[in-house]
Amino acid sequence: MVTVSKALTIKKTKPPLGKRLKKEWNRNAIVYLFLVPILIHFTIFQVYPFLLSFYLTFMDWRIIGEPVFVGLKHWQYFLHDSLAWKAIWNTVKFSIYYIVPTMALGLILALIINSGVRGAKFFKGIFFLPVVTSFVIIAGIWGWLFKGTEAGMINFILSFFGIEPQLFLSNSSQALAVLAGLSIFKVAGSTMIYYFAGLQSIDKQLYEAAQMDGASTLRIFWTITFPLLKPIHFYVLITTTIGSFQIFDSAFLLTGGGPNYATTTLVYYLYAQGFTSLNLSYAAVLSYVLFFIILVISLIQRKYLGKDSNLY
Amino acid sequence: MKKVISYIALFILGFAFLMPFFIMILGSFKEVEFAQMDPLFWIPEDPTIGNYLYIMRDGMFVRWIWNSVVITIIPVLSQMFLCAVLGYIFAKKQFVGRDLIFWIFMGVIMIPQQLLIIPKYIMFSDFGWINTYWALIVPEVWGIMGVFLVRQFLQNIPNDLEEAAYIDGASDLQVFFKIILPLSIPVVATVGTFSFISNWNDLFQPLIYLTEETMFPITLGLASMLGKEGNFGIEMAGSAVSFIPTFLIFLFFQRYFTEGIQMSGMK
Repeated sequence: MVTVSKALTIKKTKPPLGKRLKKEWNRNAIVYLFLVPILIHFTIFQVYPFLLSFYLTFMDWRIIGEPVFVGLKHWQYFLHDSLAWKAIWNTVKFSIYYIVPTMALGLILALIINSGVRGAKFFKGIFFLPVVTSFVIIAGIWGWLFKGTEAGMINFILSFFGIEPQLFLSNSSQALAVLAGLSIFKVAGSTMIYYFAGLQSIDKQLYEAAQMDGASTLRIFWTITFPLLKPIHFYVLITTTIGSFQIFDSAFLLTGGGPNYATTTLVYYLYAQGFTSLNLSYAAVLSYVLFFIILVISLIQRKYLGKDSNLY
Repeated sequence: MKKVISYIALFILGFAFLMPFFIMILGSFKEVEFAQMDPLFWIPEDPTIGNYLYIMRDGMFVRWIWNSVVITIIPVLSQMFLCAVLGYIFAKKQFVGRDLIFWIFMGVIMIPQQLLIIPKYIMFSDFGWINTYWALIVPEVWGIMGVFLVRQFLQNIPNDLEEAAYIDGASDLQVFFKIILPLSIPVVATVGTFSFISNWNDLFQPLIYLTEETMFPITLGLASMLGKEGNFGIEMAGSAVSFIPTFLIFLFFQRYFTEGIQMSGMK
């Protein structure tokens, strides 16, 4: 009934077209002026490349010469490309080295910052500093710290414990872990921010009640804090997982995918195929593999976060 | 007791996190030497500013910094403005397909940039944008994440002020510039700081689109210096100089970083 009467009143007072257009322009000019160009920009730089890339996977497209349709050739090649699967496996291994330590370190930093220490704000800044620092700067220092000779600083420290100098970046079973260490150092600060926000949202009365019952600090952590941070754990898990599948910079800067392909991650392999071997079509196939992996992770996130949408 | 453990952990971790930055700064004042057999090489016995003078005289380094400034400042300013406008449009305006367009935007965020870079390389080759600033500026003039942040921010602001202005006969452009934009300053600052960090630190896109050394941004320039033996002091000086803008932005806008990170988690 309300809608009918509303419609009637609008009809009654409907002004002439010119006046309505003028009013529409007056109230919504900004939509026409900005949204239209942005949608064009969005189509050119996001939608079109996305589709072009898919088309590319069915073509032989080198930088020079006419593209030729080859159907599923590149996709079939991918299925049998042992190096591609090694790259995916390396990426998974990297995730294993990287995800849990990043979450744990972020949580530890947040707990310390949140424990009422003085200078918390200052130290929060310090822990966050690597997040805003470029990979190139950190990699330059990291490569020097983990130099695989006696002159490397980490080897120097290890020598006090009677440990022989390690090769680190030149050792195919250590290089990936060293790169993971760099990423942990770089990203833990942003994980800390999420956990800190989560910790601050926990009701203080819960702690007071538990303390009154004589629960130990450790017990309070495992029975109250840790479970109540569940949405944060989940969100951080998803974002670090997506991040770990996109790892490239440190491998490019420090190891060049080596030694013996030990640090050839999926994105590094994509880069090498596309821009070193100039096999753009096959690189496009690899980029779609990356996309599908990230899509699956994001869909899992949507599914679970849908239930728990009020994160903070 | 608990406090003591907290303080000990705080200082150990604080020191560990600062260590690489100490090495960078101290190393940058170390005399250039060919051999680096000493693990404590980065501690200068007699500090010198020779490395800084070297990179400042080296035309290439100054050029790299300049390139970085160009491909950072323009996207930062334009993102701050356009993300504010679009955030406002998606938060407050009523038009057909608004929510659909917005959810398409949010879906596209899931596409990794590594996927778009191959077709973009082909497109930019056709445009003649390889080895130009255009390839790094034009695609970055606005960003979905920024629009999302501003929209999120403005949705929590009541419409009263806006409505009052309309009743007084203001047009929506006036409403945007006089009411919405001043209100949005905190979130626009967040968009700006995010955009600054991502553009200033970007390595992957310049690596693909730029092949001429004279066009390199500082990230790519430093990468080309990386690992050359005997370059440690110069490399650290270069790193330190390229770190100054980041550090200043961080110092003054740290709050906007952390707020932005938290907001981006509120999907």
